[in-house]
Amino acid sequence: MASLPKRIIKETERLVTDPVPGITAEPHDDNLRYFKVTIEGPAGSPYENGLFHLELYLPDDYPMEAPKVRFLTKIYHPNIDRLGRICLDILKTNWSPALQIRTVLLSVQALLASPNPNDPLANDVAEDWIKNETGAKAKAKEWTSLYAKKE
Amino acid sequence: MTDSEPTERKRFFKDELESSESQIPNPTSKLDNRNSFLFEDEPKTTDLGSSLFVEQETEDLNFENKLKELIPDVDTRTRNLLLEKFEHESDPVGKALEYYFDHKNSLIKEVKTVKENPNFIDLSDDSYGSMDSHSRSGSSHLNSDPPNSHEPYSKMSFQSLFSQNRERARKRKVNTINRRILKRSKPAFSWKRFIGSMQVTAMATRPTIRPLKYGSELKLHVSTSSKFSPYQMYNSNGKKQVSMAQLVKLRDLEQDREVGRMPEEIARLVYPLIDESGVAFEITLVYSGDKRLSIGDSFIVQLDCFLTSDLFGKNLKDSQEESLSSQKIQWDTSNNSIVETKVEILDKFKRMGLIALFNKLRIKEVKDEAETLENLNNDDPEILDLEDDDTFESIVSQRDEDNEDDDDKIEHSDSMNLNQLQNFYSMAQSSEALKNLPETTPSRDIMKLDLRKYQKQGLTWMLRREGEFKKAAESDEVVAAATMMNPLWKQFVWPKDMSWVSERDHASQEKDMSLFFYANLHTGEFSNEKPMLETSLKGGILSDEMGLGKTISTLSLILSSPCDSSFDQKELFTEDDTVLTQNFSEITQKPYASRTTLIVVPMSLLHQWHSQFEKACSNDDLHSEIYYGGNVSNLKTHLINGKKPPTVLITTYGIVQNEWTKILKTSVSELDLQSTTGLFSLSFYRIVLDEGHMIRNRQTITSKAIMQLTGKCKWVLTGTPIINRLDDMYSLVKFLNLEPWSQIGFWKQFISIPFENKNFKQAFDVVNSIMEPVFLRRTKHMKDANGKPLVDLPPKEVIVEKLKLSEKQDIVYKHLLNRAEDSVKLGLERGDLLKKYSTILVNILRLRQVCCDVSLIGSQDENDEDLSNNNAMLSNGSDVAALLKDSKSDNVEETFSEIELQEAIKIINERYDFNNDDISLECSICTTEPIPLDKILFTECEHPFCKECLLEYCEYQKIKNLDLKCPLCRHEISKNKLLTLQKKENGEYEPVHYNSDSRSSKIVALANHLQQLQDSSPGEQVVVFSQFSSYLDILEKALRDISPAKTTKIYKFDGRLSLKDRNSVLKEFQEKSPGIQKILLLSLKAGGVGLNLTCASYAFVMDPWWSPSMEDQAIDRIHRIGQENNVKVTRFIIENSIEEKMLRIQERKRTIGEAMDADEDERRKRRIEEIKMLFE
Repeated sequence: MASLPKRIIKETERLVTDPVPGITAEPHDDNLRYFKVTIEGPAGSPYENGLFHLELYLPDDYPMEAPKVRFLTKIYHPNIDRLGRICLDILKTNWSPALQIRTVLLSVQALLASPNPNDPLANDVAEDWIKNETGAKAKAKEWTSLYAKKE
Repeated sequence: MTDSEPTERKRFFKDELESSESQIPNPTSKLDNRNSFLFEDEPKTTDLGSSLFVEQETEDLNFENKLKELIPDVDTRTRNLLLEKFEHESDPVGKALEYYFDHKNSLIKEVKTVKENPNFIDLSDDSYGSMDSHSRSGSSHLNSDPPNSHEPYSKMSFQSLFSQNRERARKRKVNTINRRILKRSKPAFSWKRFIGSMQVTAMATRPTIRPLKYGSELKLHVSTSSKFSPYQMYNSNGKKQVSMAQLVKLRDLEQDREVGRMPEEIARLVYPLIDESGVAFEITLVYSGDKRLSIGDSFIVQLDCFLTSDLFGKNLKDSQEESLSSQKIQWDTSNNSIVETKVEILDKFKRMGLIALFNKLRIKEVKDEAETLENLNNDDPEILDLEDDDTFESIVSQRDEDNEDDDDKIEHSDSMNLNQLQNFYSMAQSSEALKNLPETTPSRDIMKLDLRKYQKQGLTWMLRREGEFKKAAESDEVVAAATMMNPLWKQFVWPKDMSWVSERDHASQEKDMSLFFYANLHTGEFSNEKPMLETSLKGGILSDEMGLGKTISTLSLILSSPCDSSFDQKELFTEDDTVLTQNFSEITQKPYASRTTLIVVPMSLLHQWHSQFEKACSNDDLHSEIYYGGNVSNLKTHLINGKKPPTVLITTYGIVQNEWTKILKTSVSELDLQSTTGLFSLSFYRIVLDEGHMIRNRQTITSKAIMQLTGKCKWVLTGTPIINRLDDMYSLVKFLNLEPWSQIGFWKQFISIPFENKNFKQAFDVVNSIMEPVFLRRTKHMKDANGKPLVDLPPKEVIVEKLKLSEKQDIVYKHLLNRAEDSVKLGLERGDLLKKYSTILVNILRLRQVCCDVSLIGSQDENDEDLSNNNAMLSNGSDVAALLKDSKSDNVEETFSEIELQEAIKIINERYDFNNDDISLECSICTTEPIPLDKILFTECEHPFCKECLLEYCEYQKIKNLDLKCPLCRHEISKNKLLTLQKKENGEYEPVHYNSDSRSSKIVALANHLQQLQDSSPGEQVVVFSQFSSYLDILEKALRDISPAKTTKIYKFDGRLSLKDRNSVLKEFQEKSPGIQKILLLSLKAGGVGLNLTCASYAFVMDPWWSPSMEDQAIDRIHRIGQENNVKVTRFIIENSIEEKMLRIQERKRTIGEAMDADEDERRKRRIEEIKMLFE
């Protein structure tokens, strides 16, 4: 594999030395482009007190191409499907090379705080969310305590 | 005397007489007479004392005695007359006798029993008086002949004397005819020797009254009425037009009338040789059925063939040189057809006749002398019997085929000779021998540098080639080389004498006669001595592969033998100074600079040689000088009378050519060269041509000038002796004076002509054979005696990096490609593709240029051959500009308007203070902080990025078909609306419009590579090759723009650089400075040869060359001895472009081999194929 671009090294260092509150990201020992990520559920959201595991992979073309991020922990969220895939514009069309791992993860955290059922990925969840927001949030809370329990 | 002999023998005796007479007898002939029974039976001693007339010298005395003895009754007066008349003839006694008998009334009467020899026909009516007026006699040549040798002749003479008178009346009638024959008779030869016999069935053309007697002598006779010159007899195809049998008649000597004729094939064989004094024929009737012959009856004769001393004695060297020089002239004027003069055709005719005769007689060349000697005794040659011998039939039929086209014969013999050549030379130097060459180590006192093993071996070889055997290790090989036989000659063994005469006489072959004779069937030369190859050539061709250190090897030679010791030790031109007098007959005309080696080099290498010499030489007495022509006012005085002449005088091809041109202009004849003061005024101890292939075209002035340099030892250094065609080698051979090949005639005959006839193998084999003894070539892959490679170079990695054309390049490329394809298609349809060759070449050139950079098009580049063919196609620079404008308005968004640009610049200037040292801008793409100001790029929304990052982003977005937005603010941006910073004169930066299109993909890729290299291993030296020197300009500018000035130094080396600058550029480049990346932009044409750039281990080849070997040459500038690191070469090739196709053609060339290209037609075909390949 080609040597790691300076930028990735720099970003990784900064994630360790200057971590974002509620978020951790550690590169894998074997593959420095692969990160184990945890995000704490934002306070005031149905995901509060939950600890969500994600994986993040920096493709070869990074930073021209967006990193690939996926939830490993089961989550009930209109923009996240059963496989953990995330619907987030900056990970798709709105990616800019000026964005970084840190900003991506912050965005994901923000997505947890404010789900957007109008641009859904998991259609059933989104429907539920629109029709019965209280119920959906309760379910999300339930899932959080079920699957994303802090140790 | 003869009465005592048996009748039968008596008759033979007569026969003997007549046969020898018919061949123009020579009493001094050792061979014939010694073999004669008469000689053995009745030896006679000469009574010297009996002479009454001793007033002359001893020779004369001998002559007189002889004469007196032979013709006892001749009076003194007559004898004196004879003496005076024939004194200066080569065969005085014989002539005198002949004359005497011819003119004198006969004294002796005897019944004639045998036929008369026409040569002895008397003019019986001649009186003494008439004889008086004719004859004075004399002799001066007898001293060389043993007295005994005359004996048989004396007997014969008596016999004829007796027989003569009796028949004279009857024969008077035919005398006139015989005299005519006499007139044509061959000049006397001193001896003849049997080479073979055959039995021939002849056909009677005249009825005979009586049966012809067994053993009667016949004579070949060319019917004079229809005598053609051979010239007329052959039409232009070399085929015979006339039946030979009608021309060659058999004449009965006794009755002196025509009796029959030879069969056609024999007639053909002998016809050209009848008049040749070097060949003698004797014909004896063997069988005629003991009845009278009617017309058409056949009878059998034995045809004995002899070679005479004439053939061997001829001063053939002169005639050969003559013919060669005339050939030379012809070849000089016309390279294709060889026009032969009448004389040459005659010569050729005779040569072919000889070859045919040799073939017929089955005289085989001796290939292994020892073996032949062994077999000699067992080997019983037989008389060829045309009737009975089946094997002969086959030979005859083969012969007939051969006769269809005489050239076949020549070719056949050539190829035989070639085999011989090969065997012969291969023993001189095999690769095994090379491995086992002893080493010569120059002592530390003379050479500071250490030589590698193979270089030491090379030194041994070179010293040997110069004849400095004592200095080199002794070896038998040297002796072998000195006694090599000239390869053009063949060795033959004299067959056992089976001729009629000797058989009859039961004469045993003389043991002390030489067993072999030698013939050069190409020139018609014969010799009894083994013709040795002239080994006067001192020097050779050192053709080690590039990078094996030819320079060092040569310097070691020069230092080991800095001056001509044989010259210095000996007095000038003393008697025993054989070497000098022999080899320097021409040189001695010029003053001899015995202490100086002249080295001729291409200009770029002048200083390299100079500094190498200084580096290598540890003897302070030796020094080198550079000769510019003007810096030494009189070279002659400087080198010969100077106190300390330079050991090495280095000059360039240009200077040599210059001086020669000046001499030519002042029309000083060659002899006046001494009066000049330059290089041509003297001869050097040694001349070395570096990169000797410079003279490969012998028509160039440079080549001609080089040929005029004189020196004792001559060396050619070249890694590539053959660039394009086999004939390239000729100039080198010519320069070296490698006899006989330096004669263009030989070269043509053995190499060029077989080559043109597509006998490639033959031609190559000969070249190899010729070259082997004077040619030393080692390659990097060769292994020494221990199986180790000669050179252990670090590995070399060549990577082809495929690139895509930039947008702008692509537009132009497609446009040009369409145009080029159209013209090729048109050319192919019309079949006049090659007429448009130059147009097509220009089109191809354009495409190649676009692959490099669009702005190359239309640039005037004097160093580019193709471009200097200034034809109409060239003025298309403006075309392209127009095209670019068009395509821009079509496809690309508009660039800044002037107002927008000013606005953007204003904003940027407001926002950033570039002249504040603390300014720190971060590139949000690569997170570099701060971005170097010379590498910054601003979007129109005034956000800063690294140039590379932003351009890569633009490219990426384009490929993915995504909108181009500012990575930071997502404002839509355009690639054409970027700004960069430019350093002003006062060192301040100011934003300017950045024109993204000016970067071609190759430049971008190169810049990336250089950047990466500098990041991973700072301070490397890098060589960048291109064949377009204007591309080097573009590269230089682009790299200066892109690379930080602090850590990058760029050097440019091309043909426009002056000699002084070249030197300083190379010197600077070679010095390593930590942290600074040094980039050398090198034009192949200027720096492709000789340069040593081992300090660099990275190279980039910007554009492909047509010839792969040129590219290899370039790469070998860095991959050569002295290189300690792995070499990495990157070749940039534009994908799906003409460059990729060029790579394919390169592959093709590698496999076909360019040397094979010599044939014009073939080349043409190949060119068309190549063009097709390009436009497939």
